[in-house]
Amino acid sequence: MKGERAGRVAALAALACLIGGSAAAGQTAAQPPPIPGAGFSPGWAASGPPRAFTGQDLFNQIDGGAELFLEFGFVRLRLQAYAKGRAELTINAYEMESAAAALGVYLMKMGRETPFPEIAARNSSEEVQATVLKGRYFVQVDNLGQAPASKDELAALANAFLAGVADEPAPSPLDLLPAAGRVGGSERLIRGPYGLQPYITLGEGDILSLGGRVFGALAPYRLPGGETFTRLIVPYPDPEAAAAAFAYLRTHLDPYLKITAERPEAFDFVDFQARKGSVVRSGSILDILFNVTD
Amino acid sequence: MKRQPYRSMPPDNAVGRRDFLKAGGAIGAGLVLTGRSLLAAQQTQDQQPPAKPAGPPPRPKTNIEDALKVPKTKWSLPGPFPGRVVEVHDPAAMPEGKVDAAVVKAMFEKGIRALTGQSLKKSFGLFFTKSDVVGLKVNPVGPGLISTRLELVDAVVDWLTSCGLPRRNVIIWDRFDYMLKDAGFTPERYPGLGIEGLQTMDEAAAIAASEGKAADNGKWLAADGTHVSAPNFDREVFYWADVEGPKDLPYLNQHVFNGKFSYFGKLLTKKLTKIVNLPVFKNTGNAISMATKNIGYGAVCNTNRLHQPLFLDVCVEVPAFWPVRDKMVLNVTDGLRSQYDGGPDKNAKFAYIDNRLYFASDPFALDMVCHTGIVAKRKEMGVAVNENPRFTNYLRYAETLGLGVADPAKITHLKV
Repeated sequence: MKGERAGRVAALAALACLIGGSAAAGQTAAQPPPIPGAGFSPGWAASGPPRAFTGQDLFNQIDGGAELFLEFGFVRLRLQAYAKGRAELTINAYEMESAAAALGVYLMKMGRETPFPEIAARNSSEEVQATVLKGRYFVQVDNLGQAPASKDELAALANAFLAGVADEPAPSPLDLLPAAGRVGGSERLIRGPYGLQPYITLGEGDILSLGGRVFGALAPYRLPGGETFTRLIVPYPDPEAAAAAFAYLRTHLDPYLKITAERPEAFDFVDFQARKGSVVRSGSILDILFNVTD
Repeated sequence: MKRQPYRSMPPDNAVGRRDFLKAGGAIGAGLVLTGRSLLAAQQTQDQQPPAKPAGPPPRPKTNIEDALKVPKTKWSLPGPFPGRVVEVHDPAAMPEGKVDAAVVKAMFEKGIRALTGQSLKKSFGLFFTKSDVVGLKVNPVGPGLISTRLELVDAVVDWLTSCGLPRRNVIIWDRFDYMLKDAGFTPERYPGLGIEGLQTMDEAAAIAASEGKAADNGKWLAADGTHVSAPNFDREVFYWADVEGPKDLPYLNQHVFNGKFSYFGKLLTKKLTKIVNLPVFKNTGNAISMATKNIGYGAVCNTNRLHQPLFLDVCVEVPAFWPVRDKMVLNVTDGLRSQYDGGPDKNAKFAYIDNRLYFASDPFALDMVCHTGIVAKRKEMGVAVNENPRFTNYLRYAETLGLGVADPAKITHLKV
């Protein structure tokens, strides 16, 4: 056990070096990648002033949509519109705290992932909007002018910005989700109640004691026998933190969930629609099943 | 009247031992993890354990009692048609993603007639007089994709002016002036109409602040330390909640005030005599951002502080105050292009052409119908949806305050 913990600390140190080295190679917090000038494609010119929003001010730009970004760890949003005749492109560059935070937002926003190969990073794009992930940046390029810009022009703007963005590893607990039966493309990261909201309400506020620091991983499953369920796995820093999170969840469980069986470090429940679920703590992990159907 | 949050008893179902073992089997399989995966996951976690929450936060107190003390008028919510919602669908409204203005105008007129059972002229008389000053509350978030369609606004303006309301008595409004412009609500597009944002924001100062640079606050910060838009808000009419807004200058730049008061715009308290609410059919997380949110978060300043602790309750309590309750006579939800996920900001992956308009004098019945509609759409599209009743509790809360109808059994949903 002692050796295992020591190994974990060493691995964390190595990871920190890796991330630090990557950041040094690219942009730093003080020098964010530049918003492209008009030269990203012939004939385009900046339209209107640049805009920027930090912290809670994001609510002003995207209203309640800010909740998700803030929960995952939002630093700032920078926007710039460009025009060419009746066509207009707008870049929305969201800087997040880490690459994992950007990945968390991207997974929530990508829908069915439909990449444009012209864009030099992971993306899920439509003619009217490209949604892009690179490093700690989540980027959307809007193509919503009175006349559409071409796909090449949209990609050129995205790529002009991405050229200044450093690649970073995005370590996350997604690997913890078993592959068998997992619905492809449905994996999500969870860092707080807002991301969990469409799936289940386990209780008020930070019911999983994520504290704005711990990431969980979630995915729906469909097994060959027809059973379906959604699985959420949360790895805490140590067994003590997981035990405390389990105890808090058990004590403050949503009143619409009814506990039907209890064992040490585990309980079963049914929700208001009579769907079954369970919570099990094993070491430093909370493993939660819900929406279980036969 | 005390706030009585809706609670229903969970069903008395039980999971048997066999069922548990079945579920446990899946859990057990998942915990047989490779050392590499487990280590990779642990590496992502902060070395400091997360802070333990002290318990669910209590609901902040508000001044809703003040709103309820003001006697209602003949114009008060839920208006002349409580619980009545009309849905108009015409597949020809947006051919190839472009609005057919003539079709939208016909849809609008059909919807008004179906809502009131009267002609357009007589319908006008149910909601307005020719001396009214009518504010059209649009939703400019997500311009070009899911903001209120200009052609819908055209149809409303045509109806009002054809019934004798002077053009100068129509004002298109929202909280932020720059958002109106972004969404196409400009004097050039709407000559003769008023276009007013309740407030401005100095974007250059906001950018400087975001980049940690010294900001020139001279354009928005008056010599007395107040925001230049502060006079646009009525210090006598406010929504108070026991939640402090941040005290920093960037927040003040964007919110005009930063204490525990959210003042109503003077546009609503002094100038407008009626309001037509023109929200868009879209989600906010697992909830909806439609009629009651468009006005609840649009009529007052200093709202960021309210999102987390009160969120949907604001969509009830702000409209409970007389500047909205006694003036907002009509709601038309723009579902020409709708969005079932990724909202309330625009997200093309989840936006779809739906060719629908929804009409009601009762915004709470309207939102209940649209909430049901978005749940169905999310299921159809395979998007996760949480049907926990807490996401519509605010609508039932409005019903307890006498502002509208939320019980589906009492709602008449007419499709034409």
